[in-house]
Amino acid sequence: MKRVFLSCVLLLTVYCSLLTVAYAGDTPTKPKLPKTPEAIEKGKLTFFKRCSFCHGLLGDGNGPAAQFLSPRPRDFTPGTFKFRTTQSGELPIDENLFRTISRGLKGTAMQAFDNEVIKNGLTEEERWQVIYYIQTFAQEFSNPELDPYKKIVTPSMQKIPYSEESVAKGKEIFERAKCWECHGKGGKGDGQKTLDKKDDWGFPIRIRNVTQPWKIKAGSEPEDIFMRFSTGINGTPMPSFIDTLKEEERWHLANFIKSLQKNPREEQVLKAVPVKGDLPEDVNSPEWQKASYIDIRLGGSVIAAPRWQNHSVDMATVRALYNENEIAFLIEWDDPFKDVLHKKEMEADVTPLLGTASYNSYVNPVKMVPGKLETFRDSIALQFPVELQEGTEKPHFFRGDSSNPVNLWIWKADLQEEGKPAVEDTNAVGPDEPLEIQALQDVKGKGVYSGGVWKVIMKRPLLTKDEGDIQFKKGKFIPFSLNVWDGSNGEHGKLMSLSSWHYVIMETPVPSKVYLYTFLGIIGLGFGEVLLVRKINGTKV
Amino acid sequence: MNKEKKLAPVSFKQGTGQFISTVITIIIIYLIVKMGIPFVTRKITGMGFPFPVPGALMIIFMVLTTIVMFIYITSSEVRLQEFLAPILKLLKGEYGNKTRLITLTIIPLIFGFNIYSSTAPKVSTPTALRIQHPSSNFPKANETLKNPLRNPADADVDKFIEEVKSSHVEFIPQVKEDVERWKGKNPDSHILGFIPTEPVQTLLKELKTGNISRERGRAALIEKYLFEGRALFAMNCRPCHGDSTAGDGPMADGFKLRPINFTDTGTIDTIVEGYTFWRVTEGGRGLPVEATPWDSAMPVWKTDLPEEYRWRIILAEYDLAQKGPREPEKHEEKKY
Repeated sequence: MKRVFLSCVLLLTVYCSLLTVAYAGDTPTKPKLPKTPEAIEKGKLTFFKRCSFCHGLLGDGNGPAAQFLSPRPRDFTPGTFKFRTTQSGELPIDENLFRTISRGLKGTAMQAFDNEVIKNGLTEEERWQVIYYIQTFAQEFSNPELDPYKKIVTPSMQKIPYSEESVAKGKEIFERAKCWECHGKGGKGDGQKTLDKKDDWGFPIRIRNVTQPWKIKAGSEPEDIFMRFSTGINGTPMPSFIDTLKEEERWHLANFIKSLQKNPREEQVLKAVPVKGDLPEDVNSPEWQKASYIDIRLGGSVIAAPRWQNHSVDMATVRALYNENEIAFLIEWDDPFKDVLHKKEMEADVTPLLGTASYNSYVNPVKMVPGKLETFRDSIALQFPVELQEGTEKPHFFRGDSSNPVNLWIWKADLQEEGKPAVEDTNAVGPDEPLEIQALQDVKGKGVYSGGVWKVIMKRPLLTKDEGDIQFKKGKFIPFSLNVWDGSNGEHGKLMSLSSWHYVIMETPVPSKVYLYTFLGIIGLGFGEVLLVRKINGTKV
Repeated sequence: MNKEKKLAPVSFKQGTGQFISTVITIIIIYLIVKMGIPFVTRKITGMGFPFPVPGALMIIFMVLTTIVMFIYITSSEVRLQEFLAPILKLLKGEYGNKTRLITLTIIPLIFGFNIYSSTAPKVSTPTALRIQHPSSNFPKANETLKNPLRNPADADVDKFIEEVKSSHVEFIPQVKEDVERWKGKNPDSHILGFIPTEPVQTLLKELKTGNISRERGRAALIEKYLFEGRALFAMNCRPCHGDSTAGDGPMADGFKLRPINFTDTGTIDTIVEGYTFWRVTEGGRGLPVEATPWDSAMPVWKTDLPEEYRWRIILAEYDLAQKGPREPEKHEEKKY
C-alpha cells in the first residue's frame, strides 16, 4: 500500500513538472529590465536587425517592405498605438508593447518574437531593450505628464464566464450599442456602405469581421475583446465603451462576440453526398444541410509575379451533392461588399512588376489598385485537373502547366448581374498563360449575396464529351482547389486568393458483401456462444 | 503490471477480484497508450500537436498486455479459478437469465460492428510520401557552389573601402530610400552610421584614423550585404516564411504544404548552400516528382530576382535563422 502511495506521489510530481513546461505566456516571467541608456543602445541593434526592414530605420513605418503591406507596419513617431490596456487616446504601458512583440499580431506581417515560440526569437531582456528603443521615436514617451501608468484601465469585477445567458445579453447590447452599424448584423464586417474609412495614418481600413478569430489582431479570447471595448483602438474609428457601457455589459458583449467566432473544419477530403431526384438550385435549400462540408484555407497569390499578399478571402466552405446525372458544389465565403460591376479599364498595369530587373514583384495595395467600390467584380473559381493521374500526381495547384492542364469553372458576379450565363468553363496551362474559354459551356451557376456572405452554386453533368473537362466517376479522389476574387479589395486577374489541392469523392453505397461478412460474423459468434452455454450447463438449456 | 498485482487482492468481492482487476488493467493500459502518450508528448515538446500513436503500436501494446495477463493468470491454479469463476457464473445464468442474454447478445454485436467498420470502404486522404531534400535532378555543379557574398573578393572589398572613404556607398535600390531618409535626419553621420553592428562601427572608428585594413572592410561589407539581404527577404520571402524565417508568415496557413521553418534543425543547416540556391532558383515547380512539386507554393525566383539578390537573401536567411550551411564534403582525388 505504501509503495502504491509513493509511486502515485512520484507520478503526480512528474505530471506537475511537465505542466510548467507548457506554453509560454505573453506576460513577462522575470522582473522588468530597467530603462537605461545601455538597454536602449542594445535595443537599437535588435531593432536594426529584426524590425527595421518593415518599420524603417527611423521607426516611421516606411521600411523597404512596408509599402506592399496592408495593414501597414506601425509608424512609431506619433506615439499612437492600437492595442493597450490604457484609456482611449493614451500611450501604451511597456507591458502592452511587450505583449504585442511577444505574440505578434494575428493576420498581419507582425509575427511572434517570443523566443519560447520561435527558436531565434528575442529573450525577455532583448524585448524590453527593443521596447525602450522604440519609445525613443516618439517624444510622448519622455513626457511625464503623459505617463500611461496613471491611465490604466483595470477591471473592477471578475470576468463573467461564458454562458448562453451571457451571450443572449451580449446580443442585446450589440443591437443597442449599434455595433452592427460598422460590423454588420452577423459581425461579418459588412455594416458600412462605402469604403471611405481611413485611419489616423491616412491608410484605408477594413472593418473587422469578428467571426474570424484567426485574424483578430490582439487576441480572440473574451478577455482580449473586453479590453478592446474598454480601451478603444487608437487611430481608428473603434471607440472605447468605457463611459457608455457598464463593465458587466462589456463582458456580456465580449462573450457574444466569442459566440460568433467560427471554428473551422479544415479537412482534406470533401464527401459529395448522393441525392434522389433533382439537385437543389436554391442556395438555402435544406438539402444542402445533408451534405457534409469542409472549410478550405486560402492564401494570397504570391507564387508568381504579379504577387498579391493582401488577399481578403482566406476561408471558404464547400459542400457537394450529386445525383445520377449531375454534381453540384455550394461554396460560401465572407465578403463585406457585394461587387457586381467590372471595369476592365481600371485593371492594374502589372508590367513594372515582371522580370528580374523589376524593383519588386508584389502589387502595391494602395497605389496600384483603386480601392473603391463598383470597380471590380466578386468572383470564384473551382479548379480541377483535366486528367486524373495515377497515384497522387496532379498539375501544379497554381493553374497547372503545359503538360498538365487544369479545368476552371469561374463564376462571375458581373455576368450574373447582366443576366448572362454566370459561369465560364475554361482551361489553363500555367499561371502565365491566358485562360481559354471552352467551346462547350456546360457548367451552370448562381450566386446569392446576403449578410456579408456569398453563396454560389455551380453544377455540371457528371460526364461530358469535352476533352478539356474533368469527368466525375464514383469512388475516385478528384483533386480540386479554389481561386477567389474580392472586387472591393481591388482583386482581379492574378490578384486573388488561392488554395492548395483538396479532394472531392462521390460516396458510393457500402458493397453488399460487407453486410454479408458482418452478418456471418455475428451469427457465427452467437452460435459459438450457444454451444458454450450448452456445454457448461450440461443439457439443461 | 506491477501495480496491478497489488491492487488485485485489496477490496473486490470474494471470487470476482481477479476478473475485474484484469479488465481494469487492460483498460488502464489502453488509456495510457491512447491518451497518456499524446498528452505527455505534447507537454514535453510544448507544441500544439501530440506525437502520433500508430494503430500498429496500439495493437502491439494491447497484445503484449493480454499475453502478460494470460501468463500471470494461468501461472497459478487459484488465480485461474478466480478469473474464470465470474465467467462460468454468468454462463450458468447465476447472475440472472436476463444478464446472460444481454451480455451474450452484446458481444457478437460488437464483433459485427468491428467487422463492418474494418471492411466498409472509408474516405481518407490519399497519402503521398514526400521527399524533403530530393536530389534526383539536383545539378552536380551546385554541390560545391559557395555564396560569393560570404567571402567577398579583394577587389570588391577594396572598392567598398574606397566608397566608405568617399562617403558614397552604393546600395541596392530597394533600401536606398530608407537609407537616404535616415541620412537626411542624421546629416553629420557617415552614410553607414545607421548600421549599429560591431564590424561597421569599428570600421567607422578606423576611418577617422585614416587606415582601414582589408579585413575590417570585408567584415563591414558582409554587414552591408546582410542589411540588403534582410530587406530583400522581408519584401519577397517574408509573406510565407515570416519575418524571423520561422515559417509563420501571414500566408503560411493558406497552403497545405506549409512554408519551411528555417529555425528548425534539419532544414537549411543540413544542406549545402548550393542546394539552398537551387531551391530558391527553381522553386516548387523545379522539384522532381518524389517531392510533390504540384503542392509546393515556392516560387521560381530565377524569373524575378537576379542572382546577386538571391545570394543576398540566402546570406540573410542563414543569419536570421541563426544557422550555418552544411559544408560540402571534400572528395579526395585518387592518386595512382
